[in-house]
Amino acid sequence: MIINTNWLKQYTDFDYSYEELGDRLTYLGLEADPVPNPLASIEKIVVGSVSNVREHPDADRLMVCDVFDGKKTRQVICGAPNVKDDIKVPLVLPGCQLPEGKVKKVKIRGVKSEGMIPAEDELGLSDDHSGIIILPDDAEIGQDFRKYYSERFGSNFEIDLTPNRPDCTSHIGVARDLNVLTENELKIPDTDFEEDGDEIEKYVEVNIHDPEACPRYATRIIKNVEVKESPQWLKDRLKSIGLRPINNIVDAANFVLMETGQPLHTFDYDRLNGEEINVRMSEDGEEVITLDGEKRELDDSVLLICDAQQPVAVAGIMGLENSEIIDSTTNLLLESAYFNPARIRYGSKYLGLQTDSSYRFERGVDPENVIYALNRLTNLIVDLANGQVCTGLIDNYPKKIEQPQPKVRFSRINKLIGQDFDPDWVVDKFEKLGCKILDKDKNSVKVESPSWRPDLVREIDYIEEVIRIYGMEKVKSSRTIKIQPDYSRNDRYNFNRVVRDKIASYGYQEVYNNSLFSHEEKDFNLFDLEPVKIKNPLSRDLAYMRTNLSSGLVTTAADNINRKNRDLRFFEIGKVHDLNFDKDNKADEYEHFAMLLTGNLEPVSWKYGQRRTGDFFDLKGDIQGLIQYLTGKEAQFVDSEMTKENYNQIVKIVIEDDILGYICQLNEELLDDQYNVEEQKVFVFEGSLEILYKHFTPEINYQPVASYPAIERDVSILVNTSTRVGDVMELIRNNGGKHLQEVQFYDLYQGENIQENKKSLTFNLIFQNPERTLKDQEIDQQMNIIFNQLKKKVDAKLR
Amino acid sequence: MDIFDEVKDSIDQFHQELSELDVEERAIEDFRIKYLGKNGIISNYFNKFGQIPNDKKKEFGKLMNSFKNEANQAIESLHQKLNEKQTKQEFFDYTLPGVKPVEGSIHPLSKTMDDIASIFQDMGFSTELGPEIETDYYNFQALNFPENHPARDAQDTFFVDDKVVLRTHTSPIQVRTMEKQKPPIRILAPGRTFRNEAIDASHYCTFHQIEGLYIDEDVTFSELKTTLYLFVKKYFGEDVALRFRPSFFPFTEPSAEVDISCFKCGGIGDDCSLCKGSGWLEILGCGMVDPNVFKSSGIDPEKYTGYAFGMGIERIAMLKYGIDDIRLLYGSDKRFLQQFKQL
Repeated sequence: MIINTNWLKQYTDFDYSYEELGDRLTYLGLEADPVPNPLASIEKIVVGSVSNVREHPDADRLMVCDVFDGKKTRQVICGAPNVKDDIKVPLVLPGCQLPEGKVKKVKIRGVKSEGMIPAEDELGLSDDHSGIIILPDDAEIGQDFRKYYSERFGSNFEIDLTPNRPDCTSHIGVARDLNVLTENELKIPDTDFEEDGDEIEKYVEVNIHDPEACPRYATRIIKNVEVKESPQWLKDRLKSIGLRPINNIVDAANFVLMETGQPLHTFDYDRLNGEEINVRMSEDGEEVITLDGEKRELDDSVLLICDAQQPVAVAGIMGLENSEIIDSTTNLLLESAYFNPARIRYGSKYLGLQTDSSYRFERGVDPENVIYALNRLTNLIVDLANGQVCTGLIDNYPKKIEQPQPKVRFSRINKLIGQDFDPDWVVDKFEKLGCKILDKDKNSVKVESPSWRPDLVREIDYIEEVIRIYGMEKVKSSRTIKIQPDYSRNDRYNFNRVVRDKIASYGYQEVYNNSLFSHEEKDFNLFDLEPVKIKNPLSRDLAYMRTNLSSGLVTTAADNINRKNRDLRFFEIGKVHDLNFDKDNKADEYEHFAMLLTGNLEPVSWKYGQRRTGDFFDLKGDIQGLIQYLTGKEAQFVDSEMTKENYNQIVKIVIEDDILGYICQLNEELLDDQYNVEEQKVFVFEGSLEILYKHFTPEINYQPVASYPAIERDVSILVNTSTRVGDVMELIRNNGGKHLQEVQFYDLYQGENIQENKKSLTFNLIFQNPERTLKDQEIDQQMNIIFNQLKKKVDAKLR
Repeated sequence: MDIFDEVKDSIDQFHQELSELDVEERAIEDFRIKYLGKNGIISNYFNKFGQIPNDKKKEFGKLMNSFKNEANQAIESLHQKLNEKQTKQEFFDYTLPGVKPVEGSIHPLSKTMDDIASIFQDMGFSTELGPEIETDYYNFQALNFPENHPARDAQDTFFVDDKVVLRTHTSPIQVRTMEKQKPPIRILAPGRTFRNEAIDASHYCTFHQIEGLYIDEDVTFSELKTTLYLFVKKYFGEDVALRFRPSFFPFTEPSAEVDISCFKCGGIGDDCSLCKGSGWLEILGCGMVDPNVFKSSGIDPEKYTGYAFGMGIERIAMLKYGIDDIRLLYGSDKRFLQQFKQL
């Protein structure tokens, strides 16, 4: 909402500078953003007077005129249709930099021109190019046009109004709030006019069919008005806040709206059918044509203003074409009403139509200001358009809206703010706010809220007023803050942080992907979750809550690969959802973590030459390392017995009896078809963070370091190529006796010197007894047991 | 002692010393003089040749010659080693690039969230989490949003059904915590939130918030101010100014918004692109917990007071790191992520 400084001064005195005023308003909770002045950076324009307008000897449409700039007379060429003798205009002097370019002394078809008379668009004031700007006669010749302009039009603020402050949707409202600070008197314009027509009851009767939707409806009738152009002062006011003047009647109604915050409507009385106004709810399917020319179909819940036959306005939102003021209008019916805010919000939303009027009604106008605004408008119209005001007014207000009367305890104010306030100061400020003081003692004050402040209902609302008027900035910051001991450690939030740091330390980059995805497209759903559908999605691609993190990681990786970043390690930690109708929120929520690896593991190195390409075993190792680090446990990698089109192989990862997750290689055809990624292998892991947290063991149990020497043995065997190394290691471990400490697999060989269907495996075994030195004989015996078992179980041959 | 034994001892001693000798010019020269010099050990033995019985002379000569040869060879090889060592040192090119570890990176949103959380954790706030898919009750009703509040429109909120939404803020965690825990409550609620907004440079349908809640018998607005001063100075720097201005949120009263002085223009404003000339950057909303919120959670608003504050992680991260398009934060480019390797 735009507030103009000149306009504001009409209702209150203040001597703040523009910047100070903005700060004061902002600190009152009326966030005031400065509106840049279009003339701010334009110099060299003065007020001049035009004389001796004559035709250009050599150009049909151009005129030559003399313009006196206060010091000398300049010859200026002008092509505007409205240039004439004895007018005052802004004169742009040579050298002036306008938005469109620099003005220079020129010769046009042999005649020199020493300046320019601008139209509004040429100064960036509006987009009007219909003619030059003509200034009122009282403009002082020779003065800086910028100064003249800002004195005449003032400066603007854009107020970002919070929804609880409908009282400040007008200049009087803002002035009233400002006065609580400055303690100035509010200057409310008088509404003197003569009632010299017939009794109003002769012309109209008002029936409110739904008093809840329309608690108050008031009207006056003015006869024999003259519809014409508004006077300069009124046009200036409207133009200063960016409104386009239309005619004196419409302009007067708009002016009073911006002045008082009360939206008003003017009907052409002669275009109404019958002598009645009916305020009623629309019927389902009813159609109206609003002032903007749109045909609109209604449901059964939009409030309408109707004459004896048909709707003439959508209440509080917009008038209809059928009763609009036109040039021939002579008799007026004025409307000033209080409509239920929720009703107007509904209608505005239903029609997708927000107007200056609906903006105010849906926040709640002042129900006790309805008559003042009606009289103010009547007063203005009589002044501007003559006319006779019918005697009396109709004020249909069946049930007075009572204002709340809360009791405010001084101790409560102090307790909540943390600073002691003087009760007299508090009561004084409440009075300044417009409250009635009903009762007061040393502990509390009972107030009746002003009718323009629907937000002041409870004690707490008044405590907010205390801090607002005193100034939040001035409230002392406490010298200390209390700290509540928090003994929790390694909670879920911190656990996630540990996981994140560890995975990043392995060389993975953390990414964030959207939680919303398109479920239909690709199936990465390893945990078989049922996706939760959004009723009102942004698009079909974002219609479900994700069931997995892998699809996002793969898309992110593919996008990078397509940008020629081929060596990637990404990870993400995030929530996934599973539809569950038994839950209040219709979903089970799980937290997953996922890792993706593709391309080379390190940059080219002068020292190591060939780069290592990451594969399944690198990803597996990272996961093993992570599990070791967080749980101290060894994970099992087992067949998943699961097939998904997206994956070549799926290996399940188990910690004790819990499924942690899956590690997979992506199907290469899918990569090519769906992601345009060729000749690159992509490996993905996705797991449950809850399971990892369940096994999280941050404690370390120290084991004494053995002081007796360890004995190492290597064993090389030949086995069938189909024998799994993991099974062989398991056999060695199970048969190694109690002194076998470690088994390392360190060489896998197939090829030359070895039978075709055989492979050579080499293990390093470490034996140790913490209590004594082991004898070679003991180890030899144990090695025999191991080898016999290998021979028996996997048909191994010693090499 | 027989002279043969003496020579053998000398040879052993020679081996011992050789094995311990530093490959240095001075040490090698001293070693050479000791054994091969004019008055060295070997010469001295040769001088005793005359005293050897004739039948042993041949044997003695053989022993001594081999000792002398060995000594000569050893010295020669020492010189060679010395030479090699010196040569090697001259060619050691320490400018060759070091072999760097491959580092991953933490996402700027995680970093921002963690940095903020750490400051409040040090002030005794513990973390509480809540579901991303929420009921209308926790997301709106219990937080004192009136039935027809604009935020409840479909234009702003994603609905799963009439009573279930994707949470539009982290504030439902406040209510959930108040239901299960008696005051004093001092919690931090970080998490992902959703708004039904078309995606562009400054809007994304998914975003993150962190908020704090403190409820006890004598929590004041004054203490809220100090707490947030402390946070702002620790996070944005000691020189940053901040201001509180009245605002409106359904679940707090009084409510305030907090601005910090623009760290790009230093609060001067003018043509600053970051603060749009105002000199201030809005960073968080806060206020005293509204009594209606206490009532819906069964906490006595007469006995207890509380404050709450909340901020958008995307906004803070974008301000802090100078990121001008929110879309960069989601589904990211490696070259973007790489820049967050630094602590």
